[in-house]
Amino acid sequence: MSWKIWSLKKSPWVFHVNTGACNNCDIEIVDLLTPKFDVERFGIKLVGSPRHADALLVTGGVTAQAAPRLREVYRQTPKPCVVFCIGACACDKGIFTTGYHMVGPVDKIIKEIDPNAIIAYVPGCPPKPEAMISGIVKALSAL
Amino acid sequence: MNQEQLNNKLSEIKDKLTATEQPMANRICLTCEAENSHAINKFLFEDVPLRFVIATGIDSDNWFEVLYHYSYDQTGCMVTLKAIIRDRENPAIESIAPFLPAAEWVEREIHDILGIDFKNHPDMRRLILSDDWPEGVYPLRKDAKMPAKRPDGEPSNRPPVKSPACRTIQLSKPVLAVGPFHPLQEEMEFFQLTVDGEIVTDIDMRISYNHRGIEKISESLQFDQVPFLVSRICGICSASHPLAYVQAVEDLAGVTPPDRALYVRTIINELERIHSHILWAGLAGHFIGYDTVFMWAWKYREPVLDLLEEITGNRNNYGNVKVGGCREDIPDELKPKIVGEMDKIEKKMDMLVKAVTDDPVLHARLKGVGVLSKEDAIKFAVTGPTARASGVAIDVRRDEPYAAYADLDWDVISRPEGDVFAKMVVRLLEVIESAKIIKQAVGKLPAGPVAVEVKEIPPGEVVGRVEAPRGETFHYVRSDGGNRPVRHKVRAPSFVNVPSFKASCIGEHIADVTITLAAVDPCYSCTERLAVVDQNNSVLHDYEALLRLSRERTTQIKKELGVSGLKIGDLQIG
Repeated sequence: MSWKIWSLKKSPWVFHVNTGACNNCDIEIVDLLTPKFDVERFGIKLVGSPRHADALLVTGGVTAQAAPRLREVYRQTPKPCVVFCIGACACDKGIFTTGYHMVGPVDKIIKEIDPNAIIAYVPGCPPKPEAMISGIVKALSAL
Repeated sequence: MNQEQLNNKLSEIKDKLTATEQPMANRICLTCEAENSHAINKFLFEDVPLRFVIATGIDSDNWFEVLYHYSYDQTGCMVTLKAIIRDRENPAIESIAPFLPAAEWVEREIHDILGIDFKNHPDMRRLILSDDWPEGVYPLRKDAKMPAKRPDGEPSNRPPVKSPACRTIQLSKPVLAVGPFHPLQEEMEFFQLTVDGEIVTDIDMRISYNHRGIEKISESLQFDQVPFLVSRICGICSASHPLAYVQAVEDLAGVTPPDRALYVRTIINELERIHSHILWAGLAGHFIGYDTVFMWAWKYREPVLDLLEEITGNRNNYGNVKVGGCREDIPDELKPKIVGEMDKIEKKMDMLVKAVTDDPVLHARLKGVGVLSKEDAIKFAVTGPTARASGVAIDVRRDEPYAAYADLDWDVISRPEGDVFAKMVVRLLEVIESAKIIKQAVGKLPAGPVAVEVKEIPPGEVVGRVEAPRGETFHYVRSDGGNRPVRHKVRAPSFVNVPSFKASCIGEHIADVTITLAAVDPCYSCTERLAVVDQNNSVLHDYEALLRLSRERTTQIKKELGVSGLKIGDLQIG
């Protein structure tokens, strides 16, 4: 294990990217920070800039307007980083698959600019906060 | 003015109309040719006066229609003006935005999706489609040919766009760019604030980041599948949107759901309102530097989500309402638990209201900030707590009662001030009202089934509306007798509440903008970036810098007042 991966796995700082989500996954992500789930006790912290982040929590199926912004955010994130597709939309565009303004899903957009990106999926509509924590733990222990 | 007087008033413009229909007691449909629409709209908005709700553009086979929906809140009557544009090649109609700012956005939207030109519109830029969407492709036209491969490549090979959606930044004036990712809004939005020193002098907005094309997707789903789609318009309003849609379709099918279903719908919708308002209160605290309020408010919200999960099986996106009733019943053994939780919520909110209204820092920080005057509230046609905090006491639950609200005893909370403080108080007091409603509804819950069978959806057009946590949710459905809607228009409350920033943010300090933008509760998303562009040295401030500014202002006020503000001890309760 390289020292980069080793350091990535400890206290991951996450950055939240909404690419056209319905806000459900987003409020559940914020819910993770609040007393009932309180992920800061594991060192998981929501940060205000992708440049500080170890992982991206991406929600939504990526609208045409959001796609270039998602690429830009991914470019700004220091590598290695983990991209978490949170929710059904981020995983495969969910119920919005046939929408004319959808260009996702997230993994397609990310792989266009980095074929070797580390991508993890947490399905659900919305995934419960417990599922998100479990997804993060599983992905980090698989690295 | 009662319904009869309204009808008399409307007969004054009879000669300009080609048809007048009244399919139901409180639904009036007027039809006119495109040339007359401007005059009639002006009459409806200024002389009757009616509240503008939204406009809908429709591609009928031989012509285009623009439907202007108005609400007469004294009797709960909806008036729809149908303007017919017969020229399919170059569809055009006179804009009503010059006297009705609330129509500015929707006309831009109709232009984007149907290609109808609005003459004399003050600002006809692209609104809802992405920057790289090809010109001349109108997705909601029935014969629309979608771009085969989407032009979403790298910026270098994007086709040039004739009408850029954002003003190019003029370097003569400092411009503060907010977004497109911003922690205060569910839809990603992009704001450009022109600033003079610390004072905001102009605001421009760009949406589209969250445009998923739901209205088009809805046309491809069956009537029974649509509720699952519309509950995903907004995660926090995921009970209100399907209910508005379902009520519209029930009107069309002539179905009355069983009484028990109406009560179950009431309970779920009020639980949703409670969790949404508490969520807002917490985030509002966060933005002004009261993280204690954030944490405690969200802690109080959890039992409500647990209740929703026990009733519907999910913390959000309940999928419980269907045409003809509900999918899931509230088990009787859950009743005591609901009442018990509501008692606790009432106590907690009483304490929070006291803590907020007694706190001198909050008074100094929020009073007189981001004021939306009553006149502006009417002009921008805002709804929900945003309107009620500006002295416009409208509430669909009272004005056109649906579900079980007419049987229950509760009050519409309204305040005259229009500032952020008033919006906060309205929301906190509404939580207490909601708890009251739920307790009564649980007590009166009638026995019986929760759904009836619906066989046929006849042709016709209907509207349905519901008071969502953020305001009136409006759905328009047109059916041709098939098993899918031929047009489904959705107007979420934020669509009219958000443009009111133009009235409430100008003249404010930058440090107050965060909370003013947040005060209409434009559905929250989470942490991204804000950037401040300075004319001389291109200094970029991010979101955290703005949050810091906002918090520093609170700290400064605290110092001036010599108080420490809220303490955790104040907030603790059982």
